[in-house]
Amino acid sequence: MRKLILLSLMIIAALALAACGASDADAPAKAVENYLTALVEKDGDRLPTLVCGDWEADALIELDSFQAVTARLDNLSCSQTGTDGETALILCTGNIIATYNGEDQALDLSGRTFQVTQENGEWLVCGTR
Amino acid sequence: MGLTQIGASILTALLAGVLTRGTWRTYSLLALSMFAVYWFQPVAPLRSFDFWLPSLSLAFVILVWLITAQAGAWKSRINFIGLSIIIGLVTFIDLTRYIFPQPLLTSTTPPQFVQYIASVLIVLLVIFAFTYLSRNNIWLLSLATILLLSILIILKSPTLTLQASIFFRTLANRPIENASALDIRWLGFSYIAFRLIHVLRDKQIGRLPELTLPEFATYVVFFPSLSAGPIDRAERFAGDLKKDFALTQDETLLAGQRIVLGLFKKFVIADALALIALNDALATQVHTTGWMWIHLYAYAFQIYFDFSGYTDIAIGIARLVGIKLPENFSAPYTKSNLTQFWSSWHMTLTQWIRSYFFNPFNRWIRGYKNIPSSLMILIGQLATMLLIGLWHGITPNFILWGAWHGLGLFLQNRWSDFAKTRIITNNPRLQTTLHLGGILLTFHFVALGWVFFALSEPSLSWQVILALSGVSR
Repeated sequence: MRKLILLSLMIIAALALAACGASDADAPAKAVENYLTALVEKDGDRLPTLVCGDWEADALIELDSFQAVTARLDNLSCSQTGTDGETALILCTGNIIATYNGEDQALDLSGRTFQVTQENGEWLVCGTR
Repeated sequence: MGLTQIGASILTALLAGVLTRGTWRTYSLLALSMFAVYWFQPVAPLRSFDFWLPSLSLAFVILVWLITAQAGAWKSRINFIGLSIIIGLVTFIDLTRYIFPQPLLTSTTPPQFVQYIASVLIVLLVIFAFTYLSRNNIWLLSLATILLLSILIILKSPTLTLQASIFFRTLANRPIENASALDIRWLGFSYIAFRLIHVLRDKQIGRLPELTLPEFATYVVFFPSLSAGPIDRAERFAGDLKKDFALTQDETLLAGQRIVLGLFKKFVIADALALIALNDALATQVHTTGWMWIHLYAYAFQIYFDFSGYTDIAIGIARLVGIKLPENFSAPYTKSNLTQFWSSWHMTLTQWIRSYFFNPFNRWIRGYKNIPSSLMILIGQLATMLLIGLWHGITPNFILWGAWHGLGLFLQNRWSDFAKTRIITNNPRLQTTLHLGGILLTFHFVALGWVFFALSEPSLSWQVILALSGVSR
């Protein structure tokens, strides 16, 4: 049993070390992808956890605009294009396909740049340009 | 619990029932229950609350066990392993944020490891300070009870929950305009708190047997009964855990039958009835007496099949791992008076309230010799039922629902007293008629009470009662 405890502690320590050294270079782009996923899934509970405080009200308004339609993501891919001070700038390709009354409408995602900031170590969507 | 969670619970229980024996069964049930605490927790708009709230549940489990166990109990091998399982698994769940691209068990990404470690240290410090102080300090048991009750009151009161949400939003620098009472949803806390309070109270009166941490923690957060009960007793539950158990074919069949029955009740009958069951929207839209009664009947049966269905599922899953959870329902709508109804509806909650409130309250109030006995009965029934109402939520409608049943129980008590000496009949037909009349009367009294339970506002409930009585609105 002592060996088992020791093994568990070693696994946790290894994971903790991996955690400390984990690269989060893709984290800002991932934050935008998570945001868009929550948006099309109309997940009003998860969405506020993915955005900064200043953008929360806007995010919920954007969510409301999808309430009457069925939405899905098509070929979504996000990547960081630059920074503006401490803000990461993220550009996405792909579309949101909004279906209303059986009719599909593609909303091109490449038209806007997402601003992503870090709050308490978490990357959060904090506006668009 | 949704179908996916129920399916996963059945599968893991089956595996645990087949593969584990003795102490390993307890360890595996503890680990499974811990995973369930996180997995079943709904997402909250406040970041990482779907991690922190289950973690706090587990912190309470450790705290209450430490202050109710013998001094130094945590040093024993089994308890140390139990503590290691709990801390190790919570740490693992937090670390999943670095391992998996999407959250594995929690609905959102768990907090940063540094935040987690800092919180664990604070919690451990508080727990050990409590434990150190608790030596020869019985009042700490009361303090822990008050703490649990205070949290329960906050969670059950929409106004207080909203204030709590505003508080946490301010702390996290989030806009308070979006604060809502629904921001803080703590899965199973009502049941967890009642199990912990039962343990604390039994310790105070010297009735609590010594429990190991794995037994105790599994009892409190046992995954089949986490979200909807029943509220078992710790010593009975631990007794089942200690028994030598091997999953036989007969046991599997019995458990399977119970699960299928529960699934049918919940997902076929209750969910179908939910389409026409009384709710706020229907209450404002329906104007005819006949339809309003149909919606009320639908609600009465929907709530029964929903709740008893979940109970059947919980009892069935628990049987797969050798735990015989207590029954929660016993054909409540076939009872001929309200006392019998309350002895067969949500039985484990009623028994809990009877043990820890009604009986002590009655003993206390009997000390006042100048209060007439009928008034004592009225106060006792009213206070008990108001408490059951408040357990469901601190809102005017739940208070009205509790008062409705409290008064009903009092009137039934007085009537029984009156009738037992005056209405004596040996005529079997008359006895049958009286019995059937009692069933119909009790059912309709309970159904009318559901008007308060189902709706959000007293004014809306009043409108429905008017419509049910044929008074046009």
